[in-house]
Amino acid sequence: MIEVEQLSKTYGSYQAVTDLSFEVESGEILGFLGPNGAGKTTTMRILTGYLPATTGTARVAGFDVHDNAMAVRKSIGYLPETPPLYPEMSVEGYLNFVAQLKGVAAGDRPKRIDSALKRCSLEDRRKSLITTLSKGYRQRVGIAQAIVHDPPVIVLDEPTVGLDPRQIIEVRELIKSLAGQHTIILSTHILPEVSMTCDRVTIINKGKLVTTNSPDSLMDELSGGISYVMEVAGQFDQAKEALQAVKGFQSVSETHKPGLPEGHLNLTIVTEGEADPGRELSAALIQQGLGLFEMKRTRASMEDVFLKLTMQDAGKESGQDASEPESSAEDAVTGVAGAEVAAPENAGAEVTDPLAEKADAASPTEGADATTNAEATPSDDSAPSPISEGAE
Amino acid sequence: MNIAVGNWFAIYKRELQSYFKSPLAYIIAGVFWLMAGIFFLVSMGSILDQVAFLDSQQQQFGGPAQPVDVPYLLLQGFLGVLASLMLVIMPMLSMGLYAEERKRGTLELLATSPITNWAVALGKLLAAVTFFLGMLLPIMVYEAVIFASASPAMPISVFFISHLGLILLAAAVLSLGMFISSLTNSTILAAILTFGLALMLWVVEAATANASGPIGQVLGHLSLLRHFNTLTQGIVDTGSLAMLATYIFLGIFLTAQAVETFRFQRS
Repeated sequence: MIEVEQLSKTYGSYQAVTDLSFEVESGEILGFLGPNGAGKTTTMRILTGYLPATTGTARVAGFDVHDNAMAVRKSIGYLPETPPLYPEMSVEGYLNFVAQLKGVAAGDRPKRIDSALKRCSLEDRRKSLITTLSKGYRQRVGIAQAIVHDPPVIVLDEPTVGLDPRQIIEVRELIKSLAGQHTIILSTHILPEVSMTCDRVTIINKGKLVTTNSPDSLMDELSGGISYVMEVAGQFDQAKEALQAVKGFQSVSETHKPGLPEGHLNLTIVTEGEADPGRELSAALIQQGLGLFEMKRTRASMEDVFLKLTMQDAGKESGQDASEPESSAEDAVTGVAGAEVAAPENAGAEVTDPLAEKADAASPTEGADATTNAEATPSDDSAPSPISEGAE
Repeated sequence: MNIAVGNWFAIYKRELQSYFKSPLAYIIAGVFWLMAGIFFLVSMGSILDQVAFLDSQQQQFGGPAQPVDVPYLLLQGFLGVLASLMLVIMPMLSMGLYAEERKRGTLELLATSPITNWAVALGKLLAAVTFFLGMLLPIMVYEAVIFASASPAMPISVFFISHLGLILLAAAVLSLGMFISSLTNSTILAAILTFGLALMLWVVEAATANASGPIGQVLGHLSLLRHFNTLTQGIVDTGSLAMLATYIFLGIFLTAQAVETFRFQRS
């Protein structure tokens, strides 16, 4: 449905997108993932015909975006980063305007508008002026605007930004319900969103394609080593010495954690391949006379995958608050994971799936506390912020 | 292409509705009507005084009666005043045409819809001109009442041609204003720049009135007022009509180009 071939875009001397190629099958939801400034919006704007590509081609629904711009525009529904709304119009009036603009025949318009309103649960706001709507409702009007002419392709640029957790879930449900009849590209820098809504994910960084795969196989591919997060009382060097003796040990680093008592360290220990030396690690620390206050085993999450893929060349230059630059990617990962632990007394190894926990955190009914805990994210701007926008 | 042209009506309708929903548009119309009404009375009064003065002079000193075409003088004087008023008011009608869309991000919707920039610009300009017609209509009604009661009555063609001139002048300023509005996302800046440009095209008349060289003559033709004045005299001068039409077309053309160019430059 969408074919992108060796697309490049330069703004003056700035290379926004470099040699990007990917495809989206009919009826699929593709997650377009990347840090801020990775070229997501630029790519989407090229697909929608808003920007011309410098080199390369893109075809939407069989039409070339450059040579057949009007046909492409007809077959795309597009929600830009800020919903393009006229505040003085009513919801219905606005949708009627967009339907007319997109070339929906006058006879079909009432039906199309009703169906868009229904899909986006806006029926009770039909007559409301857009200026009176809350942000969540405005976002829904934005999505209604993108589907009102029943386009085969829908392009959504960060559709859940700035919404509260409940609204995020509603918008995600809405997007999922659109799949099948529509082909959807959805950009985001929120990781759980991808694993929850998308069939496939394309990760781009600095305008270059990093990988395209299904969220599950990406996780499988990259979830090699197991790591532990530990809260230890004592000196870092002493702890490192003790841990180094353990078989299967790979590296240890100290990560920042808010609210850590004086003299305590938050350590992230990465172990090799299939080794699972939890018992040995804890024993080594205790034998050294170090206090072990907390221990948690983590597997690779979308965050890990994302950071691993996007920070391979950016790791050293990005300003992490880690003490050891060579492991900054892992630091950032566990900075996220560590913030989720909400049981400090529990000294035993506790196995949690970070992804599942984040899914819970996004739901206000099941994990209102977890939502606030998950707020602490790495300070780097380019790092992903799992649902931090969602929390109020 | 067919749909692209057909859709201009959606733009036209929305733009016109937005005028009627904007308090600013009502204020502009209100001020325009108030000022026009005052000036109409003042110019009528001053012309009647002038005629009375000429009459008394004729009675005192005798001699042949000087024929004075009162309705014609009134029409020309009043339309001159309206034209100056429009210099201030038209930039306020055109300032938001694109600047607002840019500010709200709705230009991205228009630019990704199956509609050409031309059609968007045309729809917007027609909406602005329609709103101006709505402002002008009540004024034309009381003018018509006065001119119909004049004896001999004014030829209806003069009345319509002069007002056509006024409408074309308004459309030319609106069109240039629309172009300036498409360059910025500040409505105030758009209004000020449009006012400046219109003023420049106005005073070029005075500056080149006595110019004799080829440059002076070319500049003189740029004057909006000169072409407007020929029409207010009831003369259908194709040169003047063409010049005003060129300004209108130029505004639409530049707007379409500006929208195209600026969208490419945005990062």
